[in-house]
Amino acid sequence: MKRNSSLFVSILVVLTLLLTACSGGNKEKAGDKSETTEPKAGGTLIYGRGADSIGLDPINITDGESIRVTHNIFETLFVYDDKLELQPKLAESHKVSEDGLTWTLTLKKGVKFQDGTDFNADAVVFNFERWMDPANPYHKGDFPYYPFLYGGFKGDPNHKIASVKAVDESTVEFTLTEKTAPFLSYLAIPMFGIASPDAIKKYGDKFYENPVGTGPFKFDSWSRNDKVVLKKNENYYVDGQPYLDEMIFRVIPDNSSRLTALQSGEVDIIDGLNPDDADTIKANSQLSLIKRPSFNTGFMVFNTQMAPFDNVKVRQAINMAINKKELIDAFYNGYAEVAKNPFPSSLWGYNDAIEDYKYDVEAAKKLLAEAGFPDGFKTELWTMSNPRPYLPQPLKIAEAMQANLKAIGIDAEIKTYEWATYLQKTGEGEHPMALYGWTGVMADPDNFLFPNLSNTNIEKPASNRAFYDNEEFTNLLQQARVTFDQDERIKLYKQAQEIFHQDAPWVTIGHTTPPMGLGGYVQGFNAHPMENDNFAEVYLTN
Amino acid sequence: MPVLAKRENETNQLQQEEAVSPWREGWKSFKKNKVALVGLGIVLFFMIIAVFAPLLAPYGINEQELSIRNNPPSPEHWFGTDDFGRDIFSRVLYGARISLWVGLVSVSGSVIVGCFLGIIAGYYGRWIDTVISRIFDIMLAFPSILLAIAVVAVLGPSLQNALIAIAIINIPNFGRLIRSKVLSVKQEEYIMAARAVGMSDGRILFHHVLPNSLAPIIVQATLAIATAIIEAAALGFLGMGAQPPQAEWGKMLADSRQYIIQAPWTVLFPGIAIMLTVLGFNLMGDGLRDALDPKMKN
Repeated sequence: MKRNSSLFVSILVVLTLLLTACSGGNKEKAGDKSETTEPKAGGTLIYGRGADSIGLDPINITDGESIRVTHNIFETLFVYDDKLELQPKLAESHKVSEDGLTWTLTLKKGVKFQDGTDFNADAVVFNFERWMDPANPYHKGDFPYYPFLYGGFKGDPNHKIASVKAVDESTVEFTLTEKTAPFLSYLAIPMFGIASPDAIKKYGDKFYENPVGTGPFKFDSWSRNDKVVLKKNENYYVDGQPYLDEMIFRVIPDNSSRLTALQSGEVDIIDGLNPDDADTIKANSQLSLIKRPSFNTGFMVFNTQMAPFDNVKVRQAINMAINKKELIDAFYNGYAEVAKNPFPSSLWGYNDAIEDYKYDVEAAKKLLAEAGFPDGFKTELWTMSNPRPYLPQPLKIAEAMQANLKAIGIDAEIKTYEWATYLQKTGEGEHPMALYGWTGVMADPDNFLFPNLSNTNIEKPASNRAFYDNEEFTNLLQQARVTFDQDERIKLYKQAQEIFHQDAPWVTIGHTTPPMGLGGYVQGFNAHPMENDNFAEVYLTN
Repeated sequence: MPVLAKRENETNQLQQEEAVSPWREGWKSFKKNKVALVGLGIVLFFMIIAVFAPLLAPYGINEQELSIRNNPPSPEHWFGTDDFGRDIFSRVLYGARISLWVGLVSVSGSVIVGCFLGIIAGYYGRWIDTVISRIFDIMLAFPSILLAIAVVAVLGPSLQNALIAIAIINIPNFGRLIRSKVLSVKQEEYIMAARAVGMSDGRILFHHVLPNSLAPIIVQATLAIATAIIEAAALGFLGMGAQPPQAEWGKMLADSRQYIIQAPWTVLFPGIAIMLTVLGFNLMGDGLRDALDPKMKN
């Protein structure tokens, strides 16, 4: 055994020396790249990613891989910039009436769709009619995000939009049925990209393969499970932009192969990097590593309607038993911060005054005994089999949590399901404890709290997977939805987070800052916290 | 009288010697086979490890200490630690239990079921033979690991179900083997004699046919254990066998493969353990074949 280990040490020393010799200084940049060279036009950028898009009609998709592409073809009326500030995009300005029900938007002038037709108030109305009216001849598909935000479709009792009217060429008037504070945020969600009415009429239900918007790149071709090719929109309304001639989104499912493709120059930028591989990129002087700012939460839900997790003491005890800090250090390789609230600190309304449950095995055991389980109990811990942005290594996290639980006497069997089955089964509430997470699509706490924790969402299939049913908590969220005063909203959300902390329907784990790798010659790329990367300002220096 | 008694005694002895002699002869020639002895040694070594794992292992299989994750081999941790900071040496020791258990139990299962079906098919023939043999053919038409994955997919992933799956996929091998053996043994004169004196089918099958067909089964079983261990490791690797935190070698490999560059010891030792046990069983099986197969005798 002695000989074995000394042999190992020597091999290791040699390897380490070799690696150090090869590495050319570490570079790590947070968020953006600040070198100031003159933007250069031309070239093709290839983006390596883990999975293909589902469709390219933004209103009919919910997955990040589809949005990644459509967000460069389509534009929304408002947009969140990479600092999560709301900015006008296709709209220029807005006015809201005294009663908070009528919103008047002035649109940008001189904007054309990629097929040459004009973008104007009629086009906006056309898009809204298509989205909200099931009787509209172009309303083909599920339109999942529309009822989620606006309370249903046209004709449903809770539908929030009474009418959308074109006042003149560049003015649109929205009349709502109830006060909706985050209305402009809704308009900024990438699913609500404005599409060319002509193209929708022309392609019908094949529009998802033939998208036409106003964005910096126009659609060229799509070979399934291989690549989507976009070409420069020559008529883009921002002078000189985009700089790139061509953008290709290539699918490379395996994390390690994708990294290899970047190293060999086959692709220019990759996401879905194994946290442990980030060091490989840091060590390569030809590549640079950036961290996408965090806009997600990884957590474990308790099924609060299932014994023994209906007992708040059991939930609190488990919160004390999980060593989050160690989990994050070990399985995120530092690319995450410990979570104590349901949404990340980059978002307004974050309650920093809350003191997280402290890791304390003895206290946890005591609390568990108080709850009536001095010897613990047997249960199941569920996990998805595939990595998610907020849980890069779900199986490992589950296994480490299993050991944490064992320390206070809880025997948790790990159950794994693939993603689609997992969503379905947890939505039905079959799980005792399950790992889960959320990536925000709009910079509003409502987007994190309402779907996941309000008691209006515990009907199966539920999006509130903790089946957390607290009337007071839900009332706070409802109240915040109809409050316009930002300070008042912040207060309401902070209060909600206190209740959440007390009730402990989740074990919050971490907010990740997923690492990405790119060639050193890729400039002007800003990793967007919500993954809505826009490539209009990206250029290549090679 | 005493003379007669002595004589009878002698004949008895002679008969007994004749009855055991093929086995004893087999052991003799096995002993001469150095390579086979090495195989036996390896197998015994791992068996001892498996039995005494709780006494030998310095740490528990699930004692996590995340602060020392992926540490290289050291005096405290002879094989280093894995990505949970668990002692790989202890886990490899406990892994021997799982692997040998899976190998022995699954193969015993397939031997029992396979022999039963094979004897029936071979002895009774006709449509029973056709049905059973065609089922075997269908099963053999699938790549065995694929069939195992299908079985586990139906039963749900767990070590026990992996064991059942491995047992199932090996049934046709034993079934076919014993069927062909039965077909030839059936024609022997002593079977005909037994039938002629009115012995029941059951007695003929289990007292005469089976013992006379055993040698190739033993050889095949030894080799099958080696394959079963690899298959269990493969299923564990695919996440369809042992479940966390069980210390199964294949699962250890799968869990650590992403660290193969940074922490090679996390995959090296379980890999070596798999290789050695499989090698041990294969060497032993080859030796047994040489020893027990009458055609191989010098």
